[in-house]
Amino acid sequence: MEENERDKGGEVEIWSWGAGTDGQLGTTRLEDEHLPQLLDLPRFSSAGPISLLACGGAHVLALTTDGKVVTWGRGTSGQLGHGDMVSSLQPKHVKLLESFVMTHVSAGWSHSGFVSDTGCLFTCGDGSFGQLGHGDCKSHCSPVKVSYFDSKHVDQIACGMRHSLVLLKGTGLSGDQVYGFGSGKRGQLGVSMDNTRSISVPQATVGLEGVEIISIDANGDHSAALSANGHLYTWGRGFGSTSDVHCPRCLPSSLCFTQVALGWNHMLVLTGGGEVFMLGGNRHGVLGDPQKGSQVKHLSEESREENLEKVQGLDGLNVVQIAAGAEHSALVTENRVIKTWGWGEHGQLGLGNTYDQISPQAVRLGHRLPGQHTMIKVYCGSGFTFAIKAVIPSQT
Amino acid sequence: MSYDDVEIEDMEWNEELQAFTYPCPCGDLFQITKDELRMGEEIARCPSCSLFITVIYNMEDFAGGSDPNTKKGLEPSKQQPVAVA
Repeated sequence: MEENERDKGGEVEIWSWGAGTDGQLGTTRLEDEHLPQLLDLPRFSSAGPISLLACGGAHVLALTTDGKVVTWGRGTSGQLGHGDMVSSLQPKHVKLLESFVMTHVSAGWSHSGFVSDTGCLFTCGDGSFGQLGHGDCKSHCSPVKVSYFDSKHVDQIACGMRHSLVLLKGTGLSGDQVYGFGSGKRGQLGVSMDNTRSISVPQATVGLEGVEIISIDANGDHSAALSANGHLYTWGRGFGSTSDVHCPRCLPSSLCFTQVALGWNHMLVLTGGGEVFMLGGNRHGVLGDPQKGSQVKHLSEESREENLEKVQGLDGLNVVQIAAGAEHSALVTENRVIKTWGWGEHGQLGLGNTYDQISPQAVRLGHRLPGQHTMIKVYCGSGFTFAIKAVIPSQT
Repeated sequence: MSYDDVEIEDMEWNEELQAFTYPCPCGDLFQITKDELRMGEEIARCPSCSLFITVIYNMEDFAGGSDPNTKKGLEPSKQQPVAVA
């Protein structure tokens, strides 16, 4: 039995915790969980081993290794792509995408984006702000192909609260391009120096010309792009007390960045050296405690410039992955330990309580799979967290 | 401490809830009703958590009017500078 499972690549555990009242935890219960819950795998693995999760406001998209998509959680805006406006406690296939091989997915507050291996982009869910990119403000309950990109090859999609970003990898002279659509009120589309209310037809960002982009991210009203040479560009709502930025701006830093994770009011970055820095985190971990908040806030009140600050308490640990929810953060260390910090009111830190944490705390996942040859990935939705633990196939 | 200051024009009218709403980081929605706005309430609460936001709006846009379909409340409000403590 076990051998068979191993042959099929079935040695995967999926864990979830945090806000769960829309079924987003996949536990089939509509309640918060303060400790990591091991999910009943057969319900998730019927589509094949899961390779990637995308967690949104209260819904989850799972991409399998063979390019299929299953979704669950809140579906009241059509964001699950099941063809209705109904939430789902059970993971269900996105039937409309069955004939495609999907390579990338992203979940926003209440909309979803899917990219196929042929470079096609599909979106569904809430379209009130034009964030689906179909040239109108209609919502869709099944993925609809974004015709603007018909003759282009889409590489990635990133969905924020009310906007979307799309990355096109350049061929020849055209170079990489990032497009934005949806709400642009805080500058999050990066398409113009002026205030843009919202646009429903994708438009190219200004200021990334000639830059090789390897990844894009969007959350809240923030946008970010990471370049191949380790530079980070951000635009959208200002962090902390800084003003909004309407065009991509390179973060002045001598560090080389390899990953970025955006929250609603903070940003995490991972350096090539495995160190984690945070921008705009002066309320991170003190939201639920006004007294503590006023103390922390006082410290940085005077500085109008938000600076990257090294995340405290990691003591030289080598970090390999970062993730950010709306107001909480998670990371995975080289030794496969998950650590969380930030807002904890819904148990999204997975520490067995609802306290906030200013510095990263270790999450205990239980030890069903042997620790030695596993890899762990962590994903954050607005108020919840998922972790995937998989056995790395041994060499023998 | 207010989680955020949000202009009424950035909130969405939710027919089901009969309230103006705005996303809460917990996954639920901050909510405020027209009646509350008429009475000068400026705090929109989330039913699922302890967070709340301050709604920025012109009280005159809501005072007296009882027509729920009035578009008036959705018009840009005069920007009132709000001191962030």
